[in-house]
Amino acid sequence: MEAVFYNFMPIWTVMFPIFMSMVIFIISRRSEKLRDGLSVATAVVTFFSVAAMYPYLAAGNIIDYTIFDILPGLGVSVRVDILSFSLAIISSFVWMLVAIYSIDYMSHEHGGDRYYPIFIFTLGSCLGIFMAGDFFTLFIFFELMSLISYVLVIHEETREALRAGYKYLIMTIIGGLALFFAIILTFELAGTVSLSQGTLITAAGTLPFLAFLSFLVGFGMKAGMFPLHVWLPDAHPVAPSPASALLSGIMLKTGAYGMLRVLFTVFNIPLVKETGWDMIMLVLAVITILLGSAVALTQEDLKRRLAYSSVGQMGYIILGMALLNETALVGDVFHIFSHALMKSTLFLAAGAIIWKTGLRNINDLQGIGKKMPVTMGAFTIAALAMIGIPPLNGFLSKWTLALGALEAGAPLYVVVLLISSLLNGLYYLPIIIAAFFGGEEEEEGGHHGEGIPFNIQEAAHRMVIPVAILGLACIVFGLMPNNFAFELSLRTASFLINAGMP
Amino acid sequence: MSLHLPVISIALLLLASFVMPLLRRGARAAALPFTLSVLGAVFTVSLYLIYLVESRGAFSYHVGGWPPPWGVELYIDHLAVYMMMVLSSICLVVMVYGARDLYHEIRAEVMSWYYTLYLLLLASMIGIALTNDLFTLFVFLEISTISACGIISIKKDRECIEASFKYLILSVLGSGCVLLGVAMIYMITGYLNYDFVAQELPQAIAEYPYNILMALSLFIVGFSVKSALFPLHIWLPDAHSSAPSPSSAVLSGLVIKIYAAAILRLLFRVFPAELFEVVPVLDILLFLSVLAVMAGSIFAMVQEDIKRMLAYSSIAQIGFVFMGIGLFGNRALLGGLVHIFNHALMKSMLFLAAGLIIYAAGIRNIRDLRGIGVRMPLTMGAFAIGAFSMVGIPGTNGFISKWHLALGALDLGRPFFVAIILLSSLLNGIYYLPIVINAFFGVKIEPRSEHRDVPGMMLVPVLILAAGVIFFGFYPGPILALLEQAIVL
Repeated sequence: MEAVFYNFMPIWTVMFPIFMSMVIFIISRRSEKLRDGLSVATAVVTFFSVAAMYPYLAAGNIIDYTIFDILPGLGVSVRVDILSFSLAIISSFVWMLVAIYSIDYMSHEHGGDRYYPIFIFTLGSCLGIFMAGDFFTLFIFFELMSLISYVLVIHEETREALRAGYKYLIMTIIGGLALFFAIILTFELAGTVSLSQGTLITAAGTLPFLAFLSFLVGFGMKAGMFPLHVWLPDAHPVAPSPASALLSGIMLKTGAYGMLRVLFTVFNIPLVKETGWDMIMLVLAVITILLGSAVALTQEDLKRRLAYSSVGQMGYIILGMALLNETALVGDVFHIFSHALMKSTLFLAAGAIIWKTGLRNINDLQGIGKKMPVTMGAFTIAALAMIGIPPLNGFLSKWTLALGALEAGAPLYVVVLLISSLLNGLYYLPIIIAAFFGGEEEEEGGHHGEGIPFNIQEAAHRMVIPVAILGLACIVFGLMPNNFAFELSLRTASFLINAGMP
Repeated sequence: MSLHLPVISIALLLLASFVMPLLRRGARAAALPFTLSVLGAVFTVSLYLIYLVESRGAFSYHVGGWPPPWGVELYIDHLAVYMMMVLSSICLVVMVYGARDLYHEIRAEVMSWYYTLYLLLLASMIGIALTNDLFTLFVFLEISTISACGIISIKKDRECIEASFKYLILSVLGSGCVLLGVAMIYMITGYLNYDFVAQELPQAIAEYPYNILMALSLFIVGFSVKSALFPLHIWLPDAHSSAPSPSSAVLSGLVIKIYAAAILRLLFRVFPAELFEVVPVLDILLFLSVLAVMAGSIFAMVQEDIKRMLAYSSIAQIGFVFMGIGLFGNRALLGGLVHIFNHALMKSMLFLAAGLIIYAAGIRNIRDLRGIGVRMPLTMGAFAIGAFSMVGIPGTNGFISKWHLALGALDLGRPFFVAIILLSSLLNGIYYLPIVINAFFGVKIEPRSEHRDVPGMMLVPVLILAAGVIFFGFYPGPILALLEQAIVL
């Protein structure tokens, strides 16, 4: 009975938001208040639905259920294991906060009637990716999410947004076709694309290598891996800030999730090590890290800088998984959590600033910290976490990643991590310093020598509170090394090391 | 009785088409219900025949009780009933649409002639699908050519006449090739019936190798012209884009494919397999199909007229059908054949949607379609589904055909063709998606005054076809099961 209930749970968590998006679409014509309320309620219910699966999964069970077959060996199925759960829980958590944040943010924007249904639909399809039981189902939701989130990217409908959106769309289609190729090759070689059959491809060869490369292109495109990251710095900043937070914080992780599945379920560690395919990922990861961080330095637009920073951070995640040992994987999964929290904090904070002041350029942000202390406080925490300052969560993930690199006998990667941290410091710290200590010149007049009094003009409460919660989470998950997220990362890592078998 | 059904349905269509022009003023209102009920009846018969063939296997029918090799024989197997189902279902849905649309595209006096031609076309296509001898094949081929020309030129503007003339010349050239081929086969074997010819040809191969090769190449050229296989496609863009929208939907969705099905029959049931070892016919078809797939997509990218773009896209899509034939593996053939149905669904839907836009807003140019999705959300929504299906997004039926074709290519160890399929999907995305994007997002234009409301009777068929695209994307089981038996030729 319990198993039946839990088999139903993933279907519910995926289909409920998708269904509600239609309801919200219809409701939005009647009442804006109801529309906003329903969106938040849907996100909250979804979050608790995901959380409700935890007791069952914590007991070591795996939810695995085939809904129906489209073709022999190819069906729509769900599967929730500890990795799926980790990603689903962080996604639905951030989504919930962003939903609350959106209410006030979007009240200034046009097209809310379009935004909310798409926003909630994307939640459903994103969870669908994480809870898919085979690569075919994963592919359906992956394409669904990628195509639907196009509407979020171009929401502003400016010329710039449309151009970025077109780039995004074409890259998405290329990625989708690469994924199609990879899945079809896997199907040809293994006769199935299910995630619950153990290792699918066990022998090296031309076709397996092609499959690996195509998977890498397909998921790497989404994850913003060099050299396929070109769409990301254009698409993320042009979206409305709540959508940017989700695009950068959560949706990039679907690519990382796919890569984890490819490395540990389609192939296995001995095969990848023996063939040296991990080297491809490592090299690309290092380039991604350094390039993302270096280019971020040159960006003047706050959101663009954050977007490039995401490229660098995704590099960490790719690096962590390509090291192929348990410690690195712990750091890797924990960094997925950390980055989701940090980057959504940063984007939401940036959004709050833009919402309140209309400023996007970093040079204009002098003294903004005195006007918006809570927002900029959260921004500071998240930025420091990005740099990897203890005791924040970013430190914990980098520490574990570095340990993993040493365990793999490759101190070079530790150096890369340090260089990147330095670069992160170089581009985040000036913003913080300018925000809190800058801007004296203009207001010097009467307050000489006493510092500027705070002149608080925060954004709306419903925007500040989610930002503050996310900022606090960055501290909490760093201060206590035995927290829930770290616990989950440990279990996920050992689960993955055992080739995706419990 | 039920064994007579195939011939009865052809006869019913022919009879109905002859009756149409006789309906005088008073009875003219009855023409449409009559046509629809005939089409509905044929569709029902095709479903029943599927059941019949599934339950008791393929069967032959001797028209008039004359046994072959003298009499006309129909051979009703899985492929034949599949084609009949595809033809009659799409024809029925398109006619529902055409009932309203045609009144604004063609003059009222010729409406009954349109019904005549339409029914004749369907009758001849079903005839091509069912026939088991070369002579009947040729007769129906000619009927289909003439009636297809008719439903293009009925619009009576300069463009249409020119296009249908071009089509007529090339198509008759094709028919001539087929006729010559038939004559050669008859000369060599003394038979016209497929089974008898197939028995004779292996022995005749030693004696008349050149004649048989000649016949084969004549058939291939003839049918390639008619199904617009690259590089013999030049007539298609003009013909399909200038015709009235229901005609375009039928021409692009069905007519070019029936010839592909006919050549498939000839290649695998009539000509001996040894022949393919001597001449790489299948490889030739395969590489032509690759060229078609690429060239069609590339030409489509530069079009400005939406119907022309759809027409060029058909050239690419017929390439997929021929790729399935040329790869000649079970799964690839399955992919090619299922694409006949899938493409019929999506392309007729796209043509009808384009027709709706032309009807309601009077816009044909792709650049003017900006913001049309806001005014016609359902139509453009259906168009978007069709576009996704063309790209092969999972959950649409286009994915199912591409999946089988690609898997079939891999089965044969030819991943090159998988790359072609993917590349073509990308190209499809590049020219279909901007239309959808521009329709919904971006600069809003002022609603034009001449905007007309979309009649429900035109919208519903489009939505039915769009629903079919999604439905068969998730539930292709029955179609595939039928085709799996069809390819055991």
